[in-house]
Amino acid sequence: MATFVDRYPDEAKVVQASFAVAFIALGIGAFFGLIQALHRTNILRVIDSVDYYTLLTAHGVLLALVFTIFFLVGVFTWAIAKGFERPLPDIRLTWAWFGLMTTGTVLTAVAILAGLVPEIPMSADVLYTFYAPLEAHPAFYIGLAMFIVGTWMAGADWFLAYRDWRGDNPDERIPLQPFMVLTTMIMWYVSTLGVAVAVVFFLIPWSLGLIETVNPLLTRTLFWYFGHPVVYFWLMPAYLLWYTVLPKLAGGRLFSDPLARVVFVLFVLLSTPVGIHHQYVDPGIAEGFKFIAMTNTMFLLLPSLLTAFTVVASVEHGARQRGGEGYLSWLGALPWRDPAFAGMALAGLMFAAGGFSGMVNAGMNINYLVHNTLWVPGHFHMTVGTAVALTMMAGTYWLLPQITGKTVYSRPIGLFQVVLWFIGMVFMSNAMHRGGLLGIPRRTAEPQYQNFDFAAAVGSVGEIRMQIAFGGLLLFLSVVFFLFNVAATWAEDRVDTPVDDTIPAPLSPPSGAPLILDNLALWTGIAVVLVVLAYTLPLASIVTDSGLLGSSPGFPVAISLEALAEAAASALPHVSLDAAAGLRPLDVAAEAAETLEVSR
Amino acid sequence: MAAEPESEEMPTSAGEGAGDGASIPDTESIDDEGYVIGSGRAGVVRQIDHDDFDPIGTLVLIAIYMAIVGAMWIFMYFVEFLGGDLTVIG
Amino acid sequence: MEIHRYEKIWLAGALLLIVGFIATISYGAVGAGIEMVDDDGGQIEPNAISDHPKFSEPGTYKTGENEYDVYVVAYQFAFDPGTSDPIRVPANSEVTFHITSRDVVHGFEIVGTNANTMAIPGQVATITVEFGEPTEYGLLCHEYCGSAHHAMEGSIQVVPQSQWNESMVVN
Ligand code: HEM
Ligand SMILES: [Cu+2]
Ligand SMILES: [Cu+2]
Repeated sequence: MATFVDRYPDEAKVVQASFAVAFIALGIGAFFGLIQALHRTNILRVIDSVDYYTLLTAHGVLLALVFTIFFLVGVFTWAIAKGFERPLPDIRLTWAWFGLMTTGTVLTAVAILAGLVPEIPMSADVLYTFYAPLEAHPAFYIGLAMFIVGTWMAGADWFLAYRDWRGDNPDERIPLQPFMVLTTMIMWYVSTLGVAVAVVFFLIPWSLGLIETVNPLLTRTLFWYFGHPVVYFWLMPAYLLWYTVLPKLAGGRLFSDPLARVVFVLFVLLSTPVGIHHQYVDPGIAEGFKFIAMTNTMFLLLPSLLTAFTVVASVEHGARQRGGEGYLSWLGALPWRDPAFAGMALAGLMFAAGGFSGMVNAGMNINYLVHNTLWVPGHFHMTVGTAVALTMMAGTYWLLPQITGKTVYSRPIGLFQVVLWFIGMVFMSNAMHRGGLLGIPRRTAEPQYQNFDFAAAVGSVGEIRMQIAFGGLLLFLSVVFFLFNVAATWAEDRVDTPVDDTIPAPLSPPSGAPLILDNLALWTGIAVVLVVLAYTLPLASIVTDSGLLGSSPGFPVAISLEALAEAAASALPHVSLDAAAGLRPLDVAAEAAETLEVSR
Repeated sequence: MAAEPESEEMPTSAGEGAGDGASIPDTESIDDEGYVIGSGRAGVVRQIDHDDFDPIGTLVLIAIYMAIVGAMWIFMYFVEFLGGDLTVIG
Repeated sequence: MEIHRYEKIWLAGALLLIVGFIATISYGAVGAGIEMVDDDGGQIEPNAISDHPKFSEPGTYKTGENEYDVYVVAYQFAFDPGTSDPIRVPANSEVTFHITSRDVVHGFEIVGTNANTMAIPGQVATITVEFGEPTEYGLLCHEYCGSAHHAMEGSIQVVPQSQWNESMVVN
């Protein structure tokens, strides 16, 4: 009995390497997450508040970009080789993109973490959204650009595999998993264009001093042009696993292959012309554009709501085949002791809840209530932080045996770990949502203020803080157990049949799907047209209003002094005078802080 | 459209398994309680085909979800938001 | 393409939900009169705020019967006015905040309320709200703006109409 690693040993190595990078990022990121959860709730402060932002930048980059996307390239490589039943066209190309992505990641990570070491004159505490004119070290942006180009090459690799396969199979339907990979990559190409332009044409030259100024609203809008589709980029590997693997784990079959294709095509079309929903309360963008982004966003709910039905129905099919009866008691017939199944099912359940807070985020004017409050991290820890991350961890228990040829070290630890994650997240993100409704801001090291207190109508702020810290602790422990289980699996000996890796055919086969669904060029074309329609006018007006390069010089974040806060506060009147005369307040504050530092 | 039994395995599974959806490579290491990762199909006690399957449980679940979401939306929009202080009117 | 009839029901329900959301939001805009921050505030040169007729002397300006403009400059790591001196406005008045930043991106949130906007260098955000009885609100920056972001806060005092006089204006 041969599994993936026996059939495609070269590809298996790339998948292993991608997973390894992903899991290292997960470990570091989760550790920083715990420090943040304890710090901002004022339960335990082991770092300076200035360094909080260094860790937060690292947390965002390592988890939301590195962990998710390295896992994605691993799963997609697996899906392409398995789905097309052939090795990738040229494994050197495969290693090349892996190498480029990894080098970029290391460069960016070094630029960020150097912020913790005062001796190194490097800092990138700009958070993972890197809004200009806060300015990071050039290495931060260059690393990011390399990372993105690496993903483009990965996509090219998979499209080349598709071309080869198509050459041999001119009349066949694209197998479902590769179909999902290819459509996801089309979306990715269309959407990364925005961030690539922002980084390559504006931020890199600006951080190198080649251009003096940037237009902050322009780079911000370009970021969000990419920033919403990236959400679906995280989600698509999870959807791929939910559609093609979860039914099998449940003992059933995918309910409908054609509908799965429809859903992925909808994502290609609708993911990008919605980014302005992250800018509902930005000045400089007309309300009409915001309204259009809102309606598009609402219709983007459709593919996810369809997914809910199809995936749950597939799981129900498994439960019924396993003897499940009744309207709801069939749920008990599912293989809940399998961590791969239980983890993905709990991730899906959490996504239903996170989906609701996402609907609120999408609601344009109700955004006044939640914008930039702790509600938002509450939301995305349920979505990317659980729907995606927990699905990836659960999926690992089924995938790792295939790519290593080894059985999972401990099923009970796996089960315990996925349940622990779910419980931890219920505490942390529910409390974050509630805190956000009180107005507690996100991205803040010490959300405890001198001028006011937050007023809780139900419960108390103290209790909310405790729940965030406690939840964060459980989440961190869950990651520790996960990484231990993975490492212990890796250390085992190979066996013949490490896991049942077959995937049963769907109930409704692909032959029922209209052929047009496989017309990738058509969907790409329509997606581009929709993007042009949604973005031409807003971008044109931003550029006409303030110029392509704007007038904001860089404000480097290179100062890492704990005294900065007091210095800035005490220097207030002077700072405002000086700055009015054209001096940068940060420089003034830095000078003041240096004086303090020296006198210590 | 009826499922085609002869194409029970997806082409993606490299034609390992036999036609029967419940068959799995190594029956010895499998039990039907889900004590082995990925063994959900070992617990299958009956084959249910496309035509015999109506996902009524799914319909019930998502109807409950829809009701919760609708109620929560009304609460969030009209109580938490419109009932809140300082509405932006211009 | 064949779709199970339950899934068709769900599809219809999902569309209804979506239309319901859009309808609620439209009601908020038209019925409840909520307006989004938009491009009405216009642009400003972030390096030359001192040349601006109002932002050069930020503070509260009376513009009509019970109507006031408040100009606020956000910068690392304070609001002017707001931080050193509270923003003062009279009770039962309609107040339009004009907010800009002279350095990096900041946020402007009147704590525990729906008054919440971004402050982006080069842009002016305007939001109009109605204040009721005399009270005091907290003010905070909710966008990370540098190493002392968490220290960027302030307050707004809504003072009784009877006590309100021009000397309370900070500009
Ligand atoms: C051990 C588990 C985790 C803990 C304890 C944790 C904790 C936190 C906390 C407390 C914050 C809020 C910081 C603030 O706004 O001041 C945060 C932000 C964030 N987390 Fe996590 N988190 C965890 C896992 C994850 C995962 C798995 C992901 C994504 C895959 C993730 C993505 C993010 C992102 C994108 C931010 C926002 C960063 C920013 O605002 O720039 N986190 N996390
Ligand atoms: Cu979005
Ligand atoms: Cu700030």
